[in-house]
Amino acid sequence: MKTGVSKHEMGFLSRVLDWLCLTPLGALLLIFLAVLPFIPPFSDQYLLRWLTIIALSAASAIAFDLTAGFINIVNFGFAAILGLGAYTSAILAVRAGLSPWAGIFVGALASGILGFLTGLLTLRLRGIFAAVMAWFIGLALMGLCIKMVWLTRGPLGLRVPRMIDTSSNEPYYYMMLIMLLVVYVICRWVTRSKMGLAFKAIGQNMEAARTSGVNPTYYRIVNFTISCTIAGWLGGFYAHYLGILTPDLMHTSKTVEVLAVAYIGGRGSLWGGAFLAFPFLIAMELIRSGASNLPGLHLVIYGIILIVVMIYLPGGIASLYYRFLYKPWGRFWRFMIGYRENK
Amino acid sequence: MLNSFFKSVFAWLKSAGGITVTIAVILMVVCTWDRGPYILVNTVVTGGMLGLVAMGLAIILGVLNIAQFAHGEYFMIGGLTAYYVIRPLHGYLDAHPNAFLAMVAPFIAMILAALVGGLAGAVTERVCFNPLRKRSRANWVMNSFLLTVGISVILVNGHQLLFGADFKGITHYWPGVVSIANVFMSIDRVMAFILALVIVIGFWVFMKYSRTGQAIRAVAQDEMGALMVGIGLDWIMVLTMAIGCAMAAVAGASLLFMYPSYPTVGLEPLYMAWFVVILVGLGNVMGALIGGFMVSLLKVLTLEYFGAGWEFVVPSVIIILVLIFKPSGIFGSEVRGVLDQ
Repeated sequence: MKTGVSKHEMGFLSRVLDWLCLTPLGALLLIFLAVLPFIPPFSDQYLLRWLTIIALSAASAIAFDLTAGFINIVNFGFAAILGLGAYTSAILAVRAGLSPWAGIFVGALASGILGFLTGLLTLRLRGIFAAVMAWFIGLALMGLCIKMVWLTRGPLGLRVPRMIDTSSNEPYYYMMLIMLLVVYVICRWVTRSKMGLAFKAIGQNMEAARTSGVNPTYYRIVNFTISCTIAGWLGGFYAHYLGILTPDLMHTSKTVEVLAVAYIGGRGSLWGGAFLAFPFLIAMELIRSGASNLPGLHLVIYGIILIVVMIYLPGGIASLYYRFLYKPWGRFWRFMIGYRENK
Repeated sequence: MLNSFFKSVFAWLKSAGGITVTIAVILMVVCTWDRGPYILVNTVVTGGMLGLVAMGLAIILGVLNIAQFAHGEYFMIGGLTAYYVIRPLHGYLDAHPNAFLAMVAPFIAMILAALVGGLAGAVTERVCFNPLRKRSRANWVMNSFLLTVGISVILVNGHQLLFGADFKGITHYWPGVVSIANVFMSIDRVMAFILALVIVIGFWVFMKYSRTGQAIRAVAQDEMGALMVGIGLDWIMVLTMAIGCAMAAVAGASLLFMYPSYPTVGLEPLYMAWFVVILVGLGNVMGALIGGFMVSLLKVLTLEYFGAGWEFVVPSVIIILVLIFKPSGIFGSEVRGVLDQ
């Protein structure tokens, strides 16, 4: 959020928040997430495990939105690229004995390279062609992962050493929260710079952007690389958190899950998907466990919400926020939402 | 006369489509000679139905400009309907043997499956795509594609919710085998191929000569122009969607003995149909039939020479190559301008 206020006029807190690209309200929500493990229903290990997975989905939604919401290309192979990061890190840990702490960055690098190549391959393609291309790259990757049993143990599942040798979930939860924040801050920094402007221009109208001197080739590749690197990093965490990997992780349905969260949250907002993931996925899990005699009910509701949002609320939850809550209702609220008159 | 005919044949042979088809035919002949005639038979039999599914996908792409991700789910609906029709019929036949009914029963199941599939497609168009089209045409291809993702999630899990996740299949429609070129195959497979041919010919005649078919082609060419000459767009959209989905449903019904109906059965036909559609060019309906045979050949050869499990990897790699070097497909298509957005 670029503001007209110069850096010197801002207090220390405002400067930190500006550096983290958070509004005070967002910071409060983040603090709330941080104290959540101490509030009774969520102090349960099982629920905490769920919260960690949800935070992972939230971070994936941010990375997904960087491509889908800004340059308007749906990366349908997102789950496969996340899985590549997970498998790279896991295989290095299992076969070469590399520490998971270094491994997840190697995994991120591998995914980043694949993202770079995907960006390069889809250069000539637009919209649906690029989405289909990414989808087939994902399919090919999943097929390879299933077939290379000598390396990945295929559908049998690869047992992976965990990052921290502990049965409690708190360390993982906090690590995931930090990763969520880091992913958010990286994506925000990228998108609030000139580069973000270029992304948006390419997403809206490629010809116009090219005419204005924006080089689509360069920005599309950069965008894919950043998004996929983050995906690989998150995948590495996933591998070393759950301790077991199966090729199911790369399935198209996993991409659809991330896609649904990102789109219902609001495309092009980055925070929308991350914010929505927590209430939405918890509600879905409650429906799933509550109606266990009706398997699939929660996913039907999931699909219906996705369709309704796609038709009637293209901007997602984020557009609701800007329509109803982003209003200068008094000084306090103005401070909380980071409202600026000259914006 | 004859000279110009040969000239046009040579011109076609030199085009991307001609080269690919020629290579596919040569490959098929060589492999058939190498491994036995069952390669040819398998390719032809599964290719017909795959072509049918892909044609449904292609016509929806061409006319409605919707990239269907949920097409496999209509395949699943067809199989499911046929299962619930044929099971009681087979039960009745076991109690009261009747040669005529035994022959007709599968057709009843397939026709009902087509009707249910078509109805499901029409309802989808009215409930999902029509409101979206009314609200905004901006970024239509991408938005409708994501909408079909939601539809796919609903249909897959709706199946699980209502009918359970177990395999609902039959062993055969018509008992017995026939022998062609020393290859024994069940009558079901032969019938599946014949049925696919009949439907394709019927569809071609419908599109070419009936007024409705001409209207559909007009909408595919130019929506605004079609509207100006008095073609009711809403009706054409519903009809096209119904036809496309009914084709997938018929394929699902007639292949029930190979693909028992369960929630995610549609994934494989969906992948394969997308391979076909990308290979021949998006929206190219008649090319999809030829593409169906080529992809089917590719699948059979992959299974034969690489073994099971590679049938996603090898076609994926080939499709990626097609997308890189000839994104408009081997036969090309005219609708790419719309789909480019």
